[in-house]
Amino acid sequence: MGALEDMLLEIKDTSELMVDLAYSSLLYNNRDIAEEVYQLDSRMRELENEIQEMAIQNATEDKDIKKALLIIRLAQSVGEISNAALKIADVVRMDVPPHPVIQLALRETDVIITAVTVGESSDLDGATLGKVRLATNTGMFVIAIRRGRRYIYGPDQHTTMMAGDTLYARGPEDGEQYLKDLAAGREHFDPKDLKL
Amino acid sequence: MVDYEDRDEEKENLTVRELLTEIKDISEVIVDLAYAALLFDSQEIGAEVHHLGARMDTLNHEIKIRMMLASRTTQDAVQLSGLLQVAEGAAAISAAAGDIVGLLDLNPKGSPIVSLVLKEAEEKIRLLTLSDRSDMGGKSLEDLSVETETGMRIIAIKRGIRWIYDPEETERLKEGDVLVVRGTEDGFERLRRFTSGAEKWPVYPEED
Repeated sequence: MGALEDMLLEIKDTSELMVDLAYSSLLYNNRDIAEEVYQLDSRMRELENEIQEMAIQNATEDKDIKKALLIIRLAQSVGEISNAALKIADVVRMDVPPHPVIQLALRETDVIITAVTVGESSDLDGATLGKVRLATNTGMFVIAIRRGRRYIYGPDQHTTMMAGDTLYARGPEDGEQYLKDLAAGREHFDPKDLKL
Repeated sequence: MVDYEDRDEEKENLTVRELLTEIKDISEVIVDLAYAALLFDSQEIGAEVHHLGARMDTLNHEIKIRMMLASRTTQDAVQLSGLLQVAEGAAAISAAAGDIVGLLDLNPKGSPIVSLVLKEAEEKIRLLTLSDRSDMGGKSLEDLSVETETGMRIIAIKRGIRWIYDPEETERLKEGDVLVVRGTEDGFERLRRFTSGAEKWPVYPEED
């Protein structure tokens, strides 16, 4: 894949992470997470500009105006999603805590967000997200990990989880309990589920 | 213009909590559907995005009115304005989804870059057909808990010429259904084993 494709991929993935983080920051009234949405937004702006420039550059060479337009407009729409995430995260930065109805509403959605702590007897301790195929096995997709005072945002398959970590994850309501049990060490993976 | 008669009859029953829940739900499924419309070059899916967008506008309007009626003190007003901001953010997401669907006019099929990007994303949108050899047919989404089992979310089902968007838990799958799913590559491969009939859907002993 070329640089342009890579950048488009990055803004798409980033915009989704921003929305998930924005809703998480609200649910947990967490300013650190809200702050990360701001950080990601500046990266989005940079990428959007680069994409626009490169798309126009390409069009001067291959004369494919429609393709350039398509790419520029797609990047712009994805940028709007990240703006919206910013708006949502911004509520956490107000002087008063978010209205309690917001948290109640977020708990009732089709896709919920949860925070679980990894215990010492958990299968997750010392495992990478890819090794235990966490998203596939639980339906819960980890969007951030808190380790002590540090956060890992948008972890990938190679990210290792450790006892004491707090995992922020998104997924269906019925996946939440299984993830909690796994993290607490009350449940363990079936070895056949770990085979790729 | 909003029809107030309609508003009084239909939505007075929804609480603010319910309104906001639905607003958030739409903001998520609408983006997946918009990308799916592009990926599969489907005006039909695009029409559903516009339909959901209109619903989003109605809900946003309703929640604004409720907030104005509910505000008694400055503290109230500040907190409620935060709630409104969340609703507006969600509405902005749905507007962006509408813009993405608008790209269909630019013939995205002719520029493979878009589908390439959507297929390579961390969470991809893919199609799966339910084989007659699969034992998922006849089971409801509630019975299956597809997302918990595989990490894949079913965002739409095509059954014959009919579409079912954001299917309800009570929906039963039928052989031949085309599922539009969203999730990781690994989850997709797992789900495909079940939809193709290569593997039986796991059944767990009832607890309690």
